[in-house]
Amino acid sequence: MSNQHSIVEIWVYLSGSPLFALFITLAAYQVGLTIYKTSKQNPLANPVAIAILLVACTIQIIEMPYSTYFEGAQFIHFLLGSATVSLAIPIYRGLHSLKGRSIPLVFSLATGGLISIASAVGIATLLGADSSITGAMYPKSVTAPIAMGIAERIGVSPTLTAIFAVSTGILGAILAPFVLNALGIKAWWQRGFAIGVGAHGIGTSRAFSIHPEAGTYASLAMGLNGVISAVAVPVIYHLFNK
Amino acid sequence: MIFGLVQILLFQSLGELISQLLLPTLPGPVIGLVLLVLWLVIRKGVNAELAMVADGFSQHLGLLFIPAAVGVVLFLPQLKANAVAIISALVGSVVLTIAASALVARLLSKKTVHE
Repeated sequence: MSNQHSIVEIWVYLSGSPLFALFITLAAYQVGLTIYKTSKQNPLANPVAIAILLVACTIQIIEMPYSTYFEGAQFIHFLLGSATVSLAIPIYRGLHSLKGRSIPLVFSLATGGLISIASAVGIATLLGADSSITGAMYPKSVTAPIAMGIAERIGVSPTLTAIFAVSTGILGAILAPFVLNALGIKAWWQRGFAIGVGAHGIGTSRAFSIHPEAGTYASLAMGLNGVISAVAVPVIYHLFNK
Repeated sequence: MIFGLVQILLFQSLGELISQLLLPTLPGPVIGLVLLVLWLVIRKGVNAELAMVADGFSQHLGLLFIPAAVGVVLFLPQLKANAVAIISALVGSVVLTIAASALVARLLSKKTVHE
């Protein structure tokens, strides 16, 4: 009896402190990484998607409200800002590869960025999605930390934006090889840059695992897309949502 | 590693400060990113400690989205109701974006080679 009582007390203590949320987040990510490695880096076994699924199921099963979970996990969430700043390093390293190719790259980025917004918002609107969904589609091709910052500025749900951004990254990492092969795109820098524009962080890490040149161009595209979108997306959003 | 973190947090704070005072349309971390790129261009190099922290972040960037993305549990009914629209929009947009970016890059680089 007293033994059971103390377990309850420990549980109450743990679920009230950030420790539990931090633990399940990191543990779920570790499980995701292990599955990703044992599946020989199969893009379908995306570690982030696995971790999100595990944590979401866990807090549903133990009936922990999301707000309680987030109170603990916000220490991880806070680091998104720092991670955004640290994107400066891959951008800086990629800057020299811009030389001589700046015109194709700038136009590729502008076209890709606009098509990404127009197609996502257009298709979702056509198929009758409500405005909170279509709003969250605007920044979805931007790397998640910046996308969430944009979402907060334009007043759409950062959570929905994060979900769409992560799904976009996973889908892009899976579909990019098929799309690029079908179009006969052979140059690594073109392949990498297109993946960086369309599938940001997750696509970039996939590009790095295929070819270093593709990876460099992918991270350059991701970084530039993030910075330009942070300026452009709020303007485009307010143009169509008055 | 600590020195690397100090630099990142310094630029993040500078970005937040500028965002609060001068440029409220841009998120603070994005301003911090731009300032850090400019600083690296002026300094002409990334010091080892900064590179170590940045590589750590980019390697495990995915971990940092988890707390926000778990918020999916709050939106499950809404996502289910709009599932077809969301999936079509995400798949269609990814394919079109990657195809368009790659085609434009190839088209313009061929032109510059011929000229």
